[in-house]
Amino acid sequence: MASLRRVLAVVVWQAASYRHVWRGSVTVSFLNPVFFLLSIGVLLGRLVDSRHPHLGGLSYLQFVAPALLATTAMQTAASMSTFSVRAGLKWLRTFHAVTATPVSVPELVGGLLAWAGVRVLFSAAVFAAIAAVGGAFTSGFAALAPLAALLCGLAFAAAITAFSSSLDNDQWLAPFFRFVLVPLFLFSGTFFPLSRLPEWIRPVAWATPLWHGVTLCRDVATGRAALLPTAGHVAYLAGLAIVGTALAVRACERRLLS
Amino acid sequence: MSDELLIEAHGLTKRYGEFVAVDGIDFGVRQGETFGFLGPNGAGKSSTMRMIGAVSPPSGGTLRVFGRDPARDGTAIRARLGVVPQDDNLDLELDVAENLFVYGRFFGLPRDVIRRRADELLEFVQLAERRDAKVDSLSGGMKRRLTIARALVNEPDLMLLDEPTTGLDPQARHALWDRLYRLKQRGVTLVLTTHYMDEAEQLCDRLVIMDRARIVAEGSPRELIERFVEPEVVELRFTSPDGAASRLDGIGKRVEVLPDRIVIGADDGDAALDAVHARGLHPDSSLVRRSTLEDVFLTLTGRSLVD
Repeated sequence: MASLRRVLAVVVWQAASYRHVWRGSVTVSFLNPVFFLLSIGVLLGRLVDSRHPHLGGLSYLQFVAPALLATTAMQTAASMSTFSVRAGLKWLRTFHAVTATPVSVPELVGGLLAWAGVRVLFSAAVFAAIAAVGGAFTSGFAALAPLAALLCGLAFAAAITAFSSSLDNDQWLAPFFRFVLVPLFLFSGTFFPLSRLPEWIRPVAWATPLWHGVTLCRDVATGRAALLPTAGHVAYLAGLAIVGTALAVRACERRLLS
Repeated sequence: MSDELLIEAHGLTKRYGEFVAVDGIDFGVRQGETFGFLGPNGAGKSSTMRMIGAVSPPSGGTLRVFGRDPARDGTAIRARLGVVPQDDNLDLELDVAENLFVYGRFFGLPRDVIRRRADELLEFVQLAERRDAKVDSLSGGMKRRLTIARALVNEPDLMLLDEPTTGLDPQARHALWDRLYRLKQRGVTLVLTTHYMDEAEQLCDRLVIMDRARIVAEGSPRELIERFVEPEVVELRFTSPDGAASRLDGIGKRVEVLPDRIVIGADDGDAALDAVHARGLHPDSSLVRRSTLEDVFLTLTGRSLVD
């Protein structure tokens, strides 16, 4: 039986480490999203709004800001589930130290993902507050958007942890950022509606997790969440989180309990 | 020391695919003793330790730790173990005291208990002055001592030390041996692996010699030396050893020819060396010494412990 106390012990460990290294995460989790909000949402947005004021009644800033919540969640999750997982399994072997104690592999993975959730939620809340001050939200439902970002972040953290712990060597991490995360960031309906893409490629975008995260955050933040699509996005992201967690546990067990 | 067995293994086997890492070994470790696995790299020592530590399921045979089955009761077994792995796996981002604190939480210990123990343990491993230091800044010997302190945070009934002094300089090794000796005096059961015969001789009450996945001998260091080798050894080194070995026939009780030296086992080493000289042989260097576990290993396997 998994013990909540041992899962929390892993969270305490991660938090203690973070106390020493939080400065390194400021760029990815806090500054970059605000830079994008300013350059794309506000400045480019003025240009867009003057030419193309038809984003479903939203200003470009209002269109982009909730999407940046989802991309921030993805990037924070990725920053916590790649190199640090490799370090724990291989470079520093700290995960081996943990599983030599009563903590089991599912408890270890659960603790890592719980901590990822804490960090995602916090960075999403900070970003949402800044965006709100900048007038990026029109609906009170925007207060719930960080929760949508949390779900998006957990799905990515679980899936990417599964990926990182399955790798036999480290050379795939850099291509993963370049060829998976960056295209997702750019083409998941973040900066333009999917209707701008050629029709034949749209199903690809619908299949990607970030599109569901972006759409969920946008629908919630603008107060336009309809029951059925929202349930679909939530189910997709929750499913990815569950499957990713199971695969991550299996891959880590193979490495830690051989 | 009591007769209660903390660890009991029968026909214990570990396979990785086709490769057999541990091939049906039997051993038992009693409460309070220091038990060693002596053998060269690749003998199966670490695989055995991982099975005892309940992080590696056996492929065959039976294993009981504290009377329990590691495959079923891993959590309960690990709660009573202190593990010092072959490679340090401290958290380099945390400072010295935090490493202990965080680790204590994995055992479900309350904060104040961990804080009190951390102070005592840092004192014990002589790191009290470095308690706020980054782990990265510690020397190899200090990291090793911190790993030992970390393994003691749950007051384990059994400590597993996998090559505790490999890679340390002689001074750091002696400092570490001293700490382990104190633990032993306190009654902590220690199980260690080593490929250093002096480490095994200094620390172990009883040991098994492992070679190629099997146990080849078992006993106390003294018993093993008495049983398998002569009390003394003469080591001879020749620049051109051609033919020297054949001219040593009949000297001592046993002659082993190694790539870099010739070893003669004898009851009286000085007499054997005189006999070598009497045959007109002039080695570049010669040494008479007492037999060690290294000689036992050599006799049993025909190879030396550290290549």
